[in-house]
Amino acid sequence: MNGFLMQCKFEVLRIFRNPYYVFWSLFMPIVFYVVFTRIFNSGMDDQQLWQAHYLMSMAAFSVMGSAIMTLGIRLVEERKQGWSMFMRITPLSDQAYFAAKMVGQTVIHIFSILIIFTSGAMINGISLTLFEWLMCGMWLLFGSLPFLAIGTLVGTMKRVDTASGVSNMIYMVLALCGGMWMPMEIMPNFVQSIGKWLPSYHFGSGAWEIVRGGQPERINFTLLVGYLLLFMVISGYTRRKQEVAV
Amino acid sequence: MESIIGVNQVSKLFKNKMAVNQVSFSIQKGEVVAILGPNGAGKTTTIMMMLGLLEPSDGSVQLFGSHPKKQAVREKIGALLQEVSVIDALKVREVIQLFRSYYPHPLSYEELVAFTGFTKDELQKRANKLSGGQKRRLGFALAMAGNPDVLFFDEPTVGMDVTSRKLFWNTVIDLKERGKTILFTTHYLQEADDIAERVILFHEGKIIGDGTPKSIKARLLKQSVSFTPISAINFEELINLPHVTDVYEKNGRIFLLTDHTDGVLASIFSQKLSVENIEIERGRLEDAFEQLVEKREVI
Repeated sequence: MNGFLMQCKFEVLRIFRNPYYVFWSLFMPIVFYVVFTRIFNSGMDDQQLWQAHYLMSMAAFSVMGSAIMTLGIRLVEERKQGWSMFMRITPLSDQAYFAAKMVGQTVIHIFSILIIFTSGAMINGISLTLFEWLMCGMWLLFGSLPFLAIGTLVGTMKRVDTASGVSNMIYMVLALCGGMWMPMEIMPNFVQSIGKWLPSYHFGSGAWEIVRGGQPERINFTLLVGYLLLFMVISGYTRRKQEVAV
Repeated sequence: MESIIGVNQVSKLFKNKMAVNQVSFSIQKGEVVAILGPNGAGKTTTIMMMLGLLEPSDGSVQLFGSHPKKQAVREKIGALLQEVSVIDALKVREVIQLFRSYYPHPLSYEELVAFTGFTKDELQKRANKLSGGQKRRLGFALAMAGNPDVLFFDEPTVGMDVTSRKLFWNTVIDLKERGKTILFTTHYLQEADDIAERVILFHEGKIIGDGTPKSIKARLLKQSVSFTPISAINFEELINLPHVTDVYEKNGRIFLLTDHTDGVLASIFSQKLSVENIEIERGRLEDAFEQLVEKREVI
C-alpha cells in the first residue's frame, strides 16, 4: 500500500513538472478565457451566462487535454525507455501502477479545475452557488473518464512523435467540433451534426446545463459511458495484441 | 544448498527465429554465475524469461519454486537491465525513495546512496539528466533497493570506464560475500573468468558448456606440445603417437594437440625424436572462447 501511495504522489509530481501540462492545461485555457470573455465578447445576449458557460468550456478543455495528451504521451515514453518493462519486475503490480496513474491524473484534474474556476471567479466575478460549483467539478471529473481511456489508447502507439501528433490532433478536433472554443450554435451545420455525437460535446454539455440551473441530460451520461467502454475495449485489445506480439 | 532458479527445457521463438533452444540449468543459493556468449547468443532473452518479462515458447522457469511473476518472487529479486533508461521528471533522490517504497524490507536510503556514490548535488538532479555511467549506477542502486536475495545483471559493465568497472565488480564481490546469488551476462571473457565461480556458455541459443571457468577451459581447450624439428619428421608418425589428436605446423614449429601433455612428452623422449625447444602451451579462457565460437561458425 505504501508503494501505491508513493507512486500516486510521484505521478502527481511528474505531471506538475511537465511543461506541456502547465502550458496546455493551465496557461492556454486561462488565456483563451480572457480573450473570449474580456476582449472578443460582443454579440452575446447574456454576458454573465456566456462567461460562466465559457469557463466550463475551458475547464473541460483543460481536463480533456491532460487526460489525452499528458497521459498518452507519457505512457509511450515510459514504454519506449523500457521503464514500464522495468516496473514489471518490482513488487508493485501492473494494476497498482496503472491505478496510481489514474489517481495521479485525477488529482491533477481537480487541481486544474480549481485553478480555472478560481481564475474565472477572479477575472469575471462569476457567481455560481456552491452547489453548482461542486456539481460542475464533479461532472468534469466524471466526464474525464472516456478521455483517460483515449489517453491509454494513445499510449499504445509505438513512437512518441506519432503519439504527440495524433493526440494533439484529436484534442484540437474534439475541442473545436465539440463546441468548446465557440458555441455549437454558431458552427456550420455539418460540424454541428458531427459534433453532436462527439464525447467532447457531451462532456461540455453537462457542465453548460449546470450553469444554466439545469442538470446533465441522460444522453450526456449515456454517450460518455458508451465512449468510455468503447475506448477501454479498444485499448485493452490493442495492449493484449502487443503483448502477444512479443 | 538449495536451488533458487530452475530453468527447464526452455525455448523462445521470435518470428521463426529460435533465440533460445531447449536450455536447462539450475542455480543454487549463493552462486555467482556468468552467462557468457557472443552477441546474439540468447543471453538477454534467457535473463528476460527468468525475470518473467518474456514468456518461454516452451518449457518453464521457476524462481524460489514459483512463477517469476509472483509478487513474493519480485520482492526477492533485483535487476539491472540493458536499454532501460530512468524515469523522467523525478530527482535522483525521489527515484530512490520511490523504489524503496515498493519493497517490504528495503535497504536504507543511505546504503543505496552509498552504492551510487553520488554527491548531495547529484542527488538533487533530475534522474534523466544524469550521464550514461551515472544512470547505470542509479540503476544498480535501484536493483538493490529491496535488499534482494538474487540479482540479475544484463551486460552490467557495457559503457563503463575502467574505474567504474572495477568499482562495480568490487561491489559484486562484496555482495557475494553477503550470500547473495548473482547472475550476470557478459561477452567479456575476462569478467566471467575473474568474477564467476561458474560459467554457463551460450552459443546460438544453446548451452554449450556449464562449469567452473577452469573446467570450461579444460574441456574446450586442447593443450599442445610444440617443438622445432632438427631433421625432417614424418607427420604420420607424429599423429600415431599416443594421446595426440592433431598435428600442424606454424612458423617452423610443429604443434601436437593433446589432452595429456605429460604422455606426449614421454613418447617424444622414449622414441628419441630429433626435436628441440620443446614447449607446452596451455590456453586461456579467451582463446577457448574464440576457438569455440569460430569453430561453430565454420560449421
